[in-house]
Parts: sequence; C-alpha cells; structure tokens
Amino acid sequence: MKHHPSEAELALLAGGDCGRVSQFFLNRHVRRCEVCIDTVADFVGLREEMLRQEILSDDHFAGDWDRLAAEMRANIHLGLEAGECVRQPVLAPTANPFWNPRMAAAFASLVLLVGAGFALRAPHAPLPAAVQTVNLPVLESTGSGLELRAGANSFALLNHHGGVARQTVSAQGDIRASYIEAGAVTIHNVYLE
Amino acid sequence: MSISNKLLVACLAALQLLAQETALDPGSSVKIDLPADSPLALVSTSMGESRATARGGAIVLDLHMALTLRNSGFRRVRGVVLLITAQEFAPGGKGSVARPCIDVPASQEFTIPIDLRLVRPVQQAGGPLVRVQLDGVLFEDLSFFGANRLNSQRALTFWETEAQRDRAYFKKVLQARGEKGLRDEMLLSMTKQAERPQLDVAMSRNGRTTGAAVPVGEHVAQFAFLKMPKSPVQPLEGWAEIAGNEARAPQIEVINQSGKPVRYVEIGWIVKDKEGHEYLAGSVPGSSTAMLIPAGQRGRLLPDTALKFSRTGKPVEIAGMTGFVSQVEFADGKVWVPSRDELNSSPLLRVLSPSQEEQRLADIYSKKGAAALVAELNRY
Repeated sequence: MKHHPSEAELALLAGGDCGRVSQFFLNRHVRRCEVCIDTVADFVGLREEMLRQEILSDDHFAGDWDRLAAEMRANIHLGLEAGECVRQPVLAPTANPFWNPRMAAAFASLVLLVGAGFALRAPHAPLPAAVQTVNLPVLESTGSGLELRAGANSFALLNHHGGVARQTVSAQGDIRASYIEAGAVTIHNVYLE
Repeated sequence: MSISNKLLVACLAALQLLAQETALDPGSSVKIDLPADSPLALVSTSMGESRATARGGAIVLDLHMALTLRNSGFRRVRGVVLLITAQEFAPGGKGSVARPCIDVPASQEFTIPIDLRLVRPVQQAGGPLVRVQLDGVLFEDLSFFGANRLNSQRALTFWETEAQRDRAYFKKVLQARGEKGLRDEMLLSMTKQAERPQLDVAMSRNGRTTGAAVPVGEHVAQFAFLKMPKSPVQPLEGWAEIAGNEARAPQIEVINQSGKPVRYVEIGWIVKDKEGHEYLAGSVPGSSTAMLIPAGQRGRLLPDTALKFSRTGKPVEIAGMTGFVSQVEFADGKVWVPSRDELNSSPLLRVLSPSQEEQRLADIYSKKGAAALVAELNRY
C-alpha cells in the first residue's frame, strides 16, 4: 500500500470491523507507518472511552436499534418517493429485452400508414370554404362540370372530354352548361332540389 | 430480414389490399328506361371507359356512356332531353342531358354522350345507381312527346325558337351580303363568344351558401331594367339581398302587356362588379307550377335561392344589377324570345351568350369553312 489509508478505514481497523483482506493490508501498512499507528491508537482510545461511558454499549441501544432501523427505512422510502416527484424522465440506457428501436419505428410507421389509409379510403371532394359550414345541398359550376353535393353524396355531369362549356344559372335552382362537339350541341342541366 | 422488417412488409401489403378499389360492373349500375310508345328506340349503349368502384364506405361511378338512338317515328326530331336520376329519394341527384338543334329524319340514328360522376355511400346502394329516362322529344312542328318532368317541352321549344330565329337571320345575311357577309358575321360571333366573361356560381336553396349568420354588410339592392318594347311582359321593379359576392332571394314584379295569359317568364340577370365589369349572372325565372299571369295583370318571380359569384377563384363583389326579359311562355305553349334587333339594341347585352344554334353554326364555320355553313343553312 503506497498511500495512507483513509481515516474511515483506520477507524474500521480500530474497531475490528473491516474485512480480513483489508485488515491484512491495513495492519501491514500500520505496522510500518508511525502516523497511521498513532491514528489507530487514537481511534482505539476513543472507542474505549465511549465504551466506558456506555455510549456504544449494547445496553445503551437496547430496544432502540429496531426503532432506528425503521426510521432509516422510512426516511429512505420517503426520499425515494420525493425524488420520484421531482425527477425528470430520463431514458436510461439500460438494455431492456422488450425494447427494440427498430420494432418501435416499424409500429409507428404502421400506425401512420393505417391512419392515412383509413383517411384516404372514403373518397371525398373538398368542399369550398364557402359551403363547409352548412350541410345543405349545394350546386356549383366548376371547370370540370356541374356538381351537386349533399353530405357524402355528390352528383356531377362532366364536360365531355374536358371541353370548355358555357354555363348559365337559373335562380330557380339549376345550372346549365352547353358545349359543342362534332357539330352537335349538348346541354347539361343539374337541378338543386 | 429482421422480424420488424418482415412485420412492416406484411402490414404494408395488408394496407394496400385494404385501400384497393373494388371494381363493379358499370353496366349493371345504369338502367335505361324508354317508354313503350317512345318515338326513339335504343340501338346500342357504349360504356366506354366507365368505371364503378367501391372505395371504403362509398361507391364511385365514373360513367362515360354513349347512347345511340334511332328515330323510330315518322316526324323529324329537333331535340331530345334525357333525365338522369340518382338517389331518387334523397335530396338532389337529378340532372339532364339534352341534345337540341338537331334534325333527325325518320329511321336515322344519332348518339348522345352521357358523362357523369356519382359518389354515394354504400349503404344507400340497392339496384342501379343511375337511371336514364326519356323526358322529352321535340319534333319539327314543335309538337312534343315525353313525361316532361323537367319542363323539357318549354326548354326545347325555346331552343328551337331561338335556332329558327338565328338560322333565319344568317340566311338573310347570306342573301343580302353573300358568303363574305356571312363569314364576317361568324367571325363577329366567335369574337363575342371568346370575349364573353363567365362567372362561376355556387347555389344553395332557402338562404345563403355560407353559414346561418347574416353576413356583415348585407343590403337590399334594386334591379335596373332594360326594356324591350316588343316584349309581351315588362319588368316593373325588383330587388335582391346582396352581401359581398352573394345575392339572395331575388324578387321581380312584372306585368303582362300581351292579350294572352302567360305561364312562364324569365328575366336575364346581369351583374356589375366594383370595377365596372359586367357579367351575365344567370336568370330569374317565374315558378313553373304556380305562376299564371292573366293578360294585363301583374305577377312576381320569387326564387328562393342564394347565388355566390366568383371568377377564377376570386369573389366578384356585386355593385349593380340589371334585368331584362329573356323568355316568355304563354299559356297555350307558344313562346317569345327577343329578336336579333332587340338583342343588338343595347351594348349591355353584349355579355349575353349567343344561342346554342349560333354557337353550333360558328363551330361548323370554324372547322369546315363557309361552304359547309352555307350547306347547313340550306338544309332548313
């Protein structure tokens, strides 16, 4: 042992409370070190003095050891619970056999895909902002044709091959679109009822 | 491959199956009904690229159909209206496809295209999704056949009357000014069609298209009227509730100045935006069932719709409105339409769309030339 033992180790040696291996090395050092041997002598003297005053005797603590142990356990538990209350969640880098980052990523992706799939399953035409607040049937002329929407239902007469149609509106409740193709006029009417 | 990767691949495959469209038979989704005594016979039905698919909780029908019909009667057919119904007992879902301005002799065939898209919940499905019925046929003597559920007789008669007016006008131009004069008229018509501004309209029944609250800034605006001296019906006064680009519940009072009772009046409706641009917004028709204006009496046109105007996605703020009588139907079924002179009498009417027949004739001229147009005019 190249360094002096700590005072705690010397105190344990003085009381005969250290392990056999520690006791061997500490005794070996103390026998050759005058400083440490004096320290151990001081601890031995202090211990004898306390025993004389029955401070460290078993009789003095008779019946109180259990109480002290219970108090210590309670304090430890209280400290742990208080610590839980103020502790920030920390991802401990422990090796959990049930935790697999790849599996987690796969399930997260799956949840996202299933959600997106369900959201995209039901076809819906985007309602203009003007009519989203009311579930009344709305008839509208669009670039692709005339469309009547009522809730989840929609009915549209489409311009043939995307041709540009001329549209007229009747306040009676219908919109008309006409287009010409191959020398013939076709007129679409959709009615709001 | 790790377990997680295998799991992911399996789930993706399942998801793909889930989202896959279920093909239905479009042919069985459509029912075509022609009455037993119909003057038109169904020759064939082409479904083209029609598709009916079940996607999630909805059925989507993309119908691109062509009906070939034969004139099985003895009179020449001048117009046909087909009634297209879907969700018969639910609100809406009714339309029509019309083929006016035709001249189909007996035994001749012609084709009508039907292009529609229908989306409806699966639980409503039962039987054909779409029914196609014959609503009306107009013959050369203006006699009519059909159920007339859509007032097709009146519409076809108006179109045919306008067509006769315009064919007569262009024949007169041809006689007076020759082929060059006719060509000039066609070029003028095509320019007018190209320059005519067009509005997009959203329409709803019984109120406004946006929410239930009264829009801020709503006010009642009065119509100005363009009088046509020869019109059998004259507008007296009219107004509509205006809020921004929305017009609600237009009301117009008219007087029947003819000697015959009138059962239908239509007022052309021109709106002016804040920049001074004018558009043909639509028409204000009289009720087709309740209205009958005796000779010399007044009547009111009271549609209960709300119309919202926009152009290229931007709202068109309404700054002014002008009305003019565009159609009158008498109780005996005869109709009145403005003459060409009356339509040319005011620069305000330049926003009107040419008649279907004028558009058709201009199309023939632009695609086949003046000779084909002259030949077409000489057919009548």
